[in-house]
Amino acid sequence: MASPPSTRVAIVGAGRGGTALLDLLHQIGTIEIVGIADLNPGAQGLQRARELNVPVYEQVADLVGNHGVNLVMDVTGDPAMEQRLRDQIPAGSDILSGPASRLLWELVQHESALQAELLHAEKLAGIGSFAAGIAHDMNNPLQLILGLAENLAEERDLDTVHLQARDIIEAVKRTTAICRDLTSYSRRASSHQDSRVAINSKLDEALKIARYAVALQDIEIRKGYQPDTIVKGNPDELLHVFVNLITNAVHAMGDRGTLTLETSAIDGVTQVRVSDTGCGIPPELLGRIFEPFFTTKPPGKGTGLGLYNIRNVIHHMHGTIGVESQVGRGSTFTLTFRHQSDPEDRSVRP
Amino acid sequence: MSEFKSGFFVGGETCNGRVLIVDDEPDIRKVVRMTLQKAGYDVLEAENGEKAIETINTGENRLLLDVIVCDIRMPKVNGIEAIAYFRQNYPRVPLIVLTGFPDTDMATSLLRQGVVDYLVKPVEGERLKASVARAMEQRELAHL
Repeated sequence: MASPPSTRVAIVGAGRGGTALLDLLHQIGTIEIVGIADLNPGAQGLQRARELNVPVYEQVADLVGNHGVNLVMDVTGDPAMEQRLRDQIPAGSDILSGPASRLLWELVQHESALQAELLHAEKLAGIGSFAAGIAHDMNNPLQLILGLAENLAEERDLDTVHLQARDIIEAVKRTTAICRDLTSYSRRASSHQDSRVAINSKLDEALKIARYAVALQDIEIRKGYQPDTIVKGNPDELLHVFVNLITNAVHAMGDRGTLTLETSAIDGVTQVRVSDTGCGIPPELLGRIFEPFFTTKPPGKGTGLGLYNIRNVIHHMHGTIGVESQVGRGSTFTLTFRHQSDPEDRSVRP
Repeated sequence: MSEFKSGFFVGGETCNGRVLIVDDEPDIRKVVRMTLQKAGYDVLEAENGEKAIETINTGENRLLLDVIVCDIRMPKVNGIEAIAYFRQNYPRVPLIVLTGFPDTDMATSLLRQGVVDYLVKPVEGERLKASVARAMEQRELAHL
């Protein structure tokens, strides 16, 4: 049973520091953010708070004076603020401000940079397993090109020459597509603000990439997509999440079985489900699979960071990840995102 | 004598032997067929291990198939499984592996199982023909 929230935090200041703090604290189950205050109604942290259903205040007194606040975090950078807060907070609550608050802000930045590094490192480690798939997809068109070119050197029939030259051009295009897919996948996740991501096409893109890592030819792929399913997040990170979930599913099936990809958006809740008919996860391990460095794969086959990173990405998007599994029957990973209304931004990133 | 080299049989035309090419990529089957036909071989195709097993068990192929050129990464029955089947049921038919992915461990293990050559795509026509010609010789020796 989950323990009740133990710390009730108020954030004062909704600039970059306040926003980062909000994002971090919101992911921690034992912390309840009772509100965030800033005099500037357009401050980015207030906008973020509205998306997360965290109450926003213009006046600090309205925020810190009640709500049973245990800890006030002052990230305004205003030296006079600490004294004002001391006069307003209820007895028994603490204030974190000045250099301590600055240090915390730096730690938050550091943590966020480390997570991005870890995600990228794990992605690059995974690309090693693409070798077989890349070799297969590169060398087949190269065999065609070589065979046709050898024939063209002796071919006298002009129609055949034209036909085979066109085949060569098509084969070259196929090999360049491989390079394009992989360079776009291996790049560092862009640090731009989260955007609206079309989930269905992102899942299809992930399938294309996963083909390099795992043999999909004997996997039956079922898709149950609800049209126009959209979540807000980083498109590069989401692609990585989907590739990871798909390759895990195929590994669990030993290259034969049924992979089901589903999306739905009902009553403001968007879900993505990735299911396999593989070996399943024993109940005693289910609680550990999201731990860093936990892996059931043999040494050298898995970093143990895949699901850990996935959970971090999903938490950063303020979503949740759940798993249901039956040994011998298969597993289903479900990503759930509460709808965050943002009527002004209708742009959808590929 | 129960088996003959197919070259003796194919009606009237010059035929150096019958080769089955097993690969899931139609393009690969096309170029390998082109190369081997020009060298005077009769060529059959199968798109995966399952089809290959079907083909070798069909009619005169049981007797007349001389060499199999087989890919590894294929759907349904993959190359490894198909090769194990051929080695067990048709031990006299020489096998050549033509794969897109060079894997030393796999090559060693397959050569131990009696595969006569392990070719990595892209392979030049001359090299492929030389390999098939050598396999044909082995096939003929098997009849002696």
